[in-house]
Amino acid sequence: MTALSTETTQASRTAAIPFILKKAFLSACVALVLFSLMIGIRTEAGPDGQLTWWTRLGDLASIVGLVFGGSIVVELLRQWIGPTGAEKLVPAPVQRSLSLAGRFLGPALLVFTLLVPVIFYNQRYILDLAILVLTYVMLGWGLNVVVGLAGLLDLGYVAFYAVGAYSYALLATNFGWSFWVCLPLAGMLAAIWGAMLGFPVLRLRGDYLAIVTLAFGEIIRLVILNWQDLTGGPNGVSGIPRPSFFGIPLDNSDDGLAAKLGIEYSPTHRIVFLFYLILALALLTNWVTIRLRRLPIGRAWEALREDEVACRALGINTTTTKLTAFATGAMFGGFAGAFFATRQGFISPESFTFQESALVLAIVVLGGMGSQLGVALAALTMIGGFELFRGLETYRMLVFGMAMVLIMIWRPRGIIGHRAPTVYLTKAQAISSDLVKEGHG
Amino acid sequence: MTSAAPLLAIRGLRAAYGKIEALKGVDVEINAGEIVALIGANGAGKSTLMMTIFGKPRARAGQILFDGRDISSVPTHQIAHLRIAQSPEGRRIFPRMSVAENLQMGADVTDCTEAERESTRERVFALFPRLKERVMQRGGTLSGGEQQMLAIGRALMSRPRLLMLDEPSLGLAPLIARQIFDAIRTLNRQDGLTVLIVEQNANHALKLAHRGYVMVNGLITLAGTGAELLQRPEIRAAYLEGGRHA
Repeated sequence: MTALSTETTQASRTAAIPFILKKAFLSACVALVLFSLMIGIRTEAGPDGQLTWWTRLGDLASIVGLVFGGSIVVELLRQWIGPTGAEKLVPAPVQRSLSLAGRFLGPALLVFTLLVPVIFYNQRYILDLAILVLTYVMLGWGLNVVVGLAGLLDLGYVAFYAVGAYSYALLATNFGWSFWVCLPLAGMLAAIWGAMLGFPVLRLRGDYLAIVTLAFGEIIRLVILNWQDLTGGPNGVSGIPRPSFFGIPLDNSDDGLAAKLGIEYSPTHRIVFLFYLILALALLTNWVTIRLRRLPIGRAWEALREDEVACRALGINTTTTKLTAFATGAMFGGFAGAFFATRQGFISPESFTFQESALVLAIVVLGGMGSQLGVALAALTMIGGFELFRGLETYRMLVFGMAMVLIMIWRPRGIIGHRAPTVYLTKAQAISSDLVKEGHG
Repeated sequence: MTSAAPLLAIRGLRAAYGKIEALKGVDVEINAGEIVALIGANGAGKSTLMMTIFGKPRARAGQILFDGRDISSVPTHQIAHLRIAQSPEGRRIFPRMSVAENLQMGADVTDCTEAERESTRERVFALFPRLKERVMQRGGTLSGGEQQMLAIGRALMSRPRLLMLDEPSLGLAPLIARQIFDAIRTLNRQDGLTVLIVEQNANHALKLAHRGYVMVNGLITLAGTGAELLQRPEIRAAYLEGGRHA
């Protein structure tokens, strides 16, 4: 069996060389046609307004050569590191140690995350970035319920983020309610909107569902933009109160937390507090999701993703199952929105464009649909990586896009495509599953 | 046949997809403890009958009496709660979920205790030892026959009083199909399970069944014991003609 498989690999590899060359040649031809006018010829207005032009054959040749070489490299990587050959090429001991590392990656990440404010206490930039990453981790985990578990493609997730943010902002600025009162309200309101979106789309799946959710996201944004009396329209809502430490403000006043604890006030206290706040919210999302996955409702979500007809035959009420998935996902989006509002102190419709929905969806898909750890890693890579490449300026998007394409080529199921089972038959395994659960934190 | 009221009695059942009438007044009775086969060609309405019992499509006329109660207007998702289980056509297991999870899905809707669930699962494993070997494997990685076993096992997990199987031998090798039919026979004899089996493989199904119905173009054209039907010359004719008319 092994001999056979190595033989076939070798056969396919030798057969692949002409194929790779042919493919690279074709890519180079396309590049030649495409770039011969775009790069090969340079035109400019002369001193008298007439058209002057000259050729740049050197540049053209280097571009075509780059495409040729790049095409070969991509093909080789695809064949060697790609999903088909992955098991054969990586030696067993390496694989074993990788899987061991994988088991500890979750807890290690969690411990590191807990220590971030301690390690980077004096680096405001990193703390701000970490808060941003965690916000997206939370959004990703929330959307994961809808997209990853229930398999309902939602392109308008930002709508619930917006509902949460505006709920808190308006309740806090108009009625002076505290963050801790508004947070559950924001989640509930977002959940209601999630169920409201759910009703009209109950019969839709796949592409059709995606279009309606996309429209829903835009509707919410446009309503916020145009309902000037309530939302302030394009001017947004400003002066949103900062969160308090359960009623004790985090400021320089005599009632502030610093004064009460008898320590010197520093603005970083608030940042650290915000960091732990979003971390707690994100972990809550994760914990609830993991618990739900083990309950009949969570299993029903996953079964719904797999086969709706079979679900009905098994007596699952697909209507309530879909609505609870939408509402649960939306609720977490609403929590994240309320956090966003209190962190920024100012919100406007510009923060809730389709781009945000697309980014969160990309995080879920890249991370591996349904994988909690994968989503966290993807959020870290996407948001953190985006900042990392800030120095590249305009090329940043290019690098970003290429990275996404490469990840999808290598790992079509996302960074962590493995799905942890939720049912174990023996007691011993049931205990180990609890350990695994913690690993997701 | 027993003189007691049948477990499932279908009277003058009509159902349609839009304007196309698929069931034109069907009468079927299934007594407790029986295996009943429903045979017929493609498009005769066999699967529609099974799905109409499950409320999708809804019956336009007629009655579906389960244990004396008309269930023709009970919502689809509540029919499973009456302990009618179905293994749908094309198996429809959950491919990314493990075998254990697939089985659990069958038990989730019922309110049986953990111990009952455990014993049902053991029963399923005793019937289909292959499932036990592959319990942590993803459903999609099973072979066709194993998937069929899983689909039946999943239906059994709800401890049904009536098990409905839609084409359990579809696309299976003869040997595997025989294993499936043997398991159904065992379930009927040892556990007293009532089974409605829809099949195109008339020969197999009628040998297994106590009684059979032949369906042509949305109507029952023949009924009798399995052995009787196998002897009838019209059975072949009805079976083939139905295909032509449909």
